[in-house]
Amino acid sequence: MILDALILQTKLLLQDDMGITVNSVQSERGLINKLNMKNYTSMIGTGGKLSLLVIISFDNSMIDKLVDLFMDGVEIDSDEVLEIKDSVAGEMINTLMGLALPTFPGRGKGVTITPPITINDASTISKHKSSTIATAEINTNFGQFSISIIDSKNSNSQEK
Amino acid sequence: MLKVLVVDDSLIIRKKLSKLIENLGHTVVCDAKTGQEAIEAYAAHKPDLVSMDITMPDMDGITAVKNIIKDHHDAKIIMVTSHGQEDMVIKSIQAGAVGYILKPLTQEKLAQAIGEVFIEYAVEESDLLDDEI
Repeated sequence: MILDALILQTKLLLQDDMGITVNSVQSERGLINKLNMKNYTSMIGTGGKLSLLVIISFDNSMIDKLVDLFMDGVEIDSDEVLEIKDSVAGEMINTLMGLALPTFPGRGKGVTITPPITINDASTISKHKSSTIATAEINTNFGQFSISIIDSKNSNSQEK
Repeated sequence: MLKVLVVDDSLIIRKKLSKLIENLGHTVVCDAKTGQEAIEAYAAHKPDLVSMDITMPDMDGITAVKNIIKDHHDAKIIMVTSHGQEDMVIKSIQAGAVGYILKPLTQEKLAQAIGEVFIEYAVEESDLLDDEI
């Protein structure tokens, strides 16, 4: 359910606000031991009534398109390019979580979110034995990215 | 023309907000990446207005608002936040913030928020560019 809420908000944000077409979404749940990361990855943790890690990972062409849209003519110094791309990845997961939170169970009341955390130089993320993973691969006309949720509590795994 | 302090841990938001503020004819006197930096920057620059992120590492925006207001009772602070953080906005207002802007940021939203705090800068909607991120 939470992954579905994030996918829905992602589609709405990309298509309605950014002019990016979502061509397909492939989701997978439960029987996943390892996530493969793309080029730019950011993560947010939730706390309070819902304890999850939410990870978003963009390929190069997707992040480049998002940087163009976010910056909209603002000049970027050459030594800022990598930080800007990380920052865009963080803003995207932050925005999507903000949009999706009111659609979570209980309207997200009592759920806190951390600031986005950039993950550098990671090619894979593996789960611990008791955690569960749900992931969605989103293909657009400008590139690909994934949204993944890691739940460390089996009791919540039915939620996803 | 207002002197503005921009506080956000995200480089892209600091740059974008700075551009929008300058497009409105105001000056960004300093930016800060953390709540603690914001407190120090406020004391150093005494800006007319602060744009403050809520969720930041080390010290969140609400705590920074409380600390700034404690020493500068007339500080004008506008929170910049995402949907889903309405509870945090209420806490920020209770802490002394005077307004808020919901992302995505646009020139129109920023101008409206500034105009609500500084009546002399209230502008007609038709005068604004729709510069959304």
